[in-house]
Amino acid sequence: MSEAQHPSLVVDGLTTAFRVEGRWYDAIRDVSFSVAKNETLALVGESGCGKSITALSIMGLVPKANGRITAGRVLLDGRDLVTSLNPVLPIGFQVAEALRYHTALAGEAARARALALLEHVKIPSAARRFDDYPHQFSGGMRQRVMIAIALACSPQIILADEPTTALDVTIQAQVLALLAELKSETGMAMIFITHNLGVVASIADRVAVMYAGDLIEIAPVEELFEHPMHPYTEALLSSIPRVDRDAGDLKPIAGQVPPITAMPSGCRYADRCPLRVPRCAKMPPLVALAVDPKHRVRCWVRAAEESANA
Amino acid sequence: MKKPLLDVRNLSKTFVARRGFMGGKSAVVHAVSDVSFSVTAGEAFGLVGESGCGKSTTGRAILRLVEPDSGTVLLKGEDVLGANPRRLRALRRQMQIVFQDPYSSLNPRRTIGQTLAEPMAVHRLGTAREIVEAVRKVLAEVGMPIDAADKYPHEFSGGQRQRIGIARALALQPELIVADEPVSALDVSIQAQILVLLRGLQQRHNLSFVLISHDLGVVRHFCSTVSVMYLGRIVERGPVPEIFDEPLHPYTRALRNASPVPDPKAKVIMAKLEGEVASALSPPSGCHFHPRCPHVMDICRQVYPSWVEVAPDRGVACHLYPAGAGAIVGEATQPLLRMT
Repeated sequence: MSEAQHPSLVVDGLTTAFRVEGRWYDAIRDVSFSVAKNETLALVGESGCGKSITALSIMGLVPKANGRITAGRVLLDGRDLVTSLNPVLPIGFQVAEALRYHTALAGEAARARALALLEHVKIPSAARRFDDYPHQFSGGMRQRVMIAIALACSPQIILADEPTTALDVTIQAQVLALLAELKSETGMAMIFITHNLGVVASIADRVAVMYAGDLIEIAPVEELFEHPMHPYTEALLSSIPRVDRDAGDLKPIAGQVPPITAMPSGCRYADRCPLRVPRCAKMPPLVALAVDPKHRVRCWVRAAEESANA
Repeated sequence: MKKPLLDVRNLSKTFVARRGFMGGKSAVVHAVSDVSFSVTAGEAFGLVGESGCGKSTTGRAILRLVEPDSGTVLLKGEDVLGANPRRLRALRRQMQIVFQDPYSSLNPRRTIGQTLAEPMAVHRLGTAREIVEAVRKVLAEVGMPIDAADKYPHEFSGGQRQRIGIARALALQPELIVADEPVSALDVSIQAQILVLLRGLQQRHNLSFVLISHDLGVVRHFCSTVSVMYLGRIVERGPVPEIFDEPLHPYTRALRNASPVPDPKAKVIMAKLEGEVASALSPPSGCHFHPRCPHVMDICRQVYPSWVEVAPDRGVACHLYPAGAGAIVGEATQPLLRMT
């Protein structure tokens, strides 16, 4: 699905700053992407790369006390999965509450619709468990309830922030299957935030890789895994121990992400990058590759190699 | 056959869980049931399974950090479970543990140097000066700068703290390290750094590892033998590439198929695995896996399958592999590998 087809959500030049000890620092800078109907975009990166800040910024949930969106636009119509369950209210009530709050439904009608949603996400014997509390559910079941709440308002976009990270792999596979099924049934767009590249390979149509607050590479999923262009994406892929084959020695990435208070103004990966050149002191633009315009990369060296070859 | 460094036989551990109002009712949790395996010198042995399968309790029971109810643990032939406190202290010098969470397993009020020197002082491994020298050496060994000795845990990142946790385990020059999810809390790029470090230590010191992990990728990379646990029992054991490429037990296969790999052409098989992991408080009758098993037969609901050695170093507890059918491993697995 190409992003030219009716983007459901357009994020353009999004920059969000946080205050640390009285000074403002950009947690994400100039993040741009779009998601189309019936498309899953995975936003992937390691801790502190800004993937969750991107989600919070899209939802308008950046904490006002010490955070603010300083630039950019978000054009969307959607609702969120960035929510959690209240431990002292029955789960059926919480699903119905979302309906009462966001739709015209009330009373018995809301209850009936809530029950239908719980059945839709395959909660076994949903009618009997309607008045159970969250602690009576397993992790996988709670995640399904959350998905039911997110679906309560028939959203066009779902933002799922690490929805399977705390789950065992066999349960994770079930939740991923459920999300894929919902997407094909409803045609909604999904932004799936995760640190797990294995999960990305299973669920995404396109992938955006973030590093230290910058979106550094975006491509269709097969293209990204087959021809990673950014040196960070490449290094990340070769540092994953794989269960499906003997990948030989792992190649770890030396060093670590710089702290937000000491970010270089140019390419933020430069310190750890084997391809570093003097030009990297300036922030590289996100450049579309001549061979495949859907594949864009933010790297001086790789973009230059690419245009030389083309 | 090499003599094992660590030999675990029929290890069992139950916990009593209080339930109901004011803890009036109690229930027995069979956290570990009848677990046996052995580890040779220099070998990395993996224990995999999902949360609640008993892999961490097994690791802790080996070191008697939790006291097992029954079974035997032999370290170089010496009985660990029967050792008196003095012998136990000597035995623990030879086996150490690395924990998952590098944030909570270091004392925040002590410098790294104090943390590393303490076990050496307890075991009287030298004069104060010699211990300072040993601390420097062990820090260098895990790739930390020497001035780390004067700093506190909060001054380090997660990956560095895990290096310090490993340094603490190495301080006594053990022969066996039980590593309980040592990289699970770390980002992938840092995880790879720690795995490379552990591999180097294994090779330099001929160290043995019991690596406990839920991540099949980590186990494939690091271990040469693995046991798969489900609800307190080992359901399959074997050499590492084979067990993941040709799993026999339906649970091992489900785990393998559900483990995400970074390749869009090998998507997670959105398994037909129905239902949730059963509770260890009330494990299903017969084979614990039968309510989720795609190959369930009548016998599976009634009788727990006995352990069958299907090949040298390869065993499984599953009624699909009846005793005596060991020789036909290759053919027997073929139809099962094509499961949906």
